[in-house]
Amino acid sequence: MKAFTFVIITLLSGTIAGTILGIINLALVEPYIDRAISIETQTAVKEGEVIDPVELQDYRLWQKGGEIAAGAILGMSIGALFGIVFLYSRNSLLQHSNSNIRKALILAGIMWFVLFLVPALKYPANPPAVGDPETIYYRESLYIGLVAISGFSALGLALLYWKSGNKVPNNRYRFITVLIIYTAIIAGAFYILPPNPDKISVPQDLVQDFRIASALTMSIFWGLLAIIFGAFWNRFKPHEVAKITTV
Amino acid sequence: MRTTLSSPRILLTRDIDVSPRIAVGILLGILLMGIFVVGYDQGHLFSFVQGQEAFDTMWMHEFYHDMRHAAGFPCH
Repeated sequence: MKAFTFVIITLLSGTIAGTILGIINLALVEPYIDRAISIETQTAVKEGEVIDPVELQDYRLWQKGGEIAAGAILGMSIGALFGIVFLYSRNSLLQHSNSNIRKALILAGIMWFVLFLVPALKYPANPPAVGDPETIYYRESLYIGLVAISGFSALGLALLYWKSGNKVPNNRYRFITVLIIYTAIIAGAFYILPPNPDKISVPQDLVQDFRIASALTMSIFWGLLAIIFGAFWNRFKPHEVAKITTV
Repeated sequence: MRTTLSSPRILLTRDIDVSPRIAVGILLGILLMGIFVVGYDQGHLFSFVQGQEAFDTMWMHEFYHDMRHAAGFPCH
C-alpha cells in the first residue's frame, strides 16, 4: 500500500473537517458559550471580583481564535483514528460497493454513535459556568472511561462479527447478537458509572440549547470527515501497491 | 517486491508493498497527543518548561477552552 499517501490523506481530511468544525462552532455554539461566560462573570462580580471588560473581551477573542486551532488539532486526531479503522475495515464495509465515500460514511456513522453519542448520553456536553475545577480530573476519568468502554466493546464485537462468519453464516443473526451484547455492556456501564458530580446552576434552556448545538456541529464534523476522507481515498487510492518505474 | 519488464521504453517497474504498521503507529501517536492537548491538558505539557506555574496559567487549556466545551470534553 501507499503508506505515505495514506497518512497524508488521513491527516489532511481530519484537519480540513476539524477546521470547518471550528468555523461552524463560532457561528452556532459560541453564542451559548458567550452567554454562559456572561453569567459566570456576573456571578464573579457579585462575589467581589474585579473584572476589566476590555481585558475580558480581548481574552475571549483570543479564545475564539483557539477554537479554530483546536478544531484543526482535534480533527486531525479523530481523523487519525478514523483512518486507522477505515484501513482495516474497508474491505468488510459495504462489500457490494466500490464507493469509498459510502464506506467512509457508514464507518463514520458507527464511530459517531460509539465514540460521541453514547458517551454524550451519560455525560453530555456542558457550557462554561457548569463544572467545578476541583472535580475536573474525576470527570475526565469518567468520560474517558465510558469512551473506552464503548469504543473497545464495539471494536471487540466487530471482530467477533467478522470472525464468526464461517461458523454462523447468517449475517442478520450475528448482527443482532453483537448489537444485544453491545447494548448490555453499555447499559451495565451506564448503571455502574456514577453521574456527573457537578450541579447545574445556569438556566436549563441555555444548557439544553448548548447541548443541541454541540451535538449538531459534532455530527456535521463526522459527516464532513467521511466525505472528505472518502473522496481523497477515491482520488489517491492508497490501498494500491506503489510502483517505481524506471525509463 | 516484484520486478516486471513491461514495454520497450519502460525497462522495469517495481512494486513497493509497504507495510502500514509504521503509518498506523504515526497516526496513533498523533491521535493520543492531539486528544490530550485539546481535551485533557491542565498545564501538563507546559509544565516541562514553565514548571508548577503552568498548572495555574493552564495556557493550552484556556486557548482550546471553547472547543473543549463544544466537543463535549469535561471542562471547568
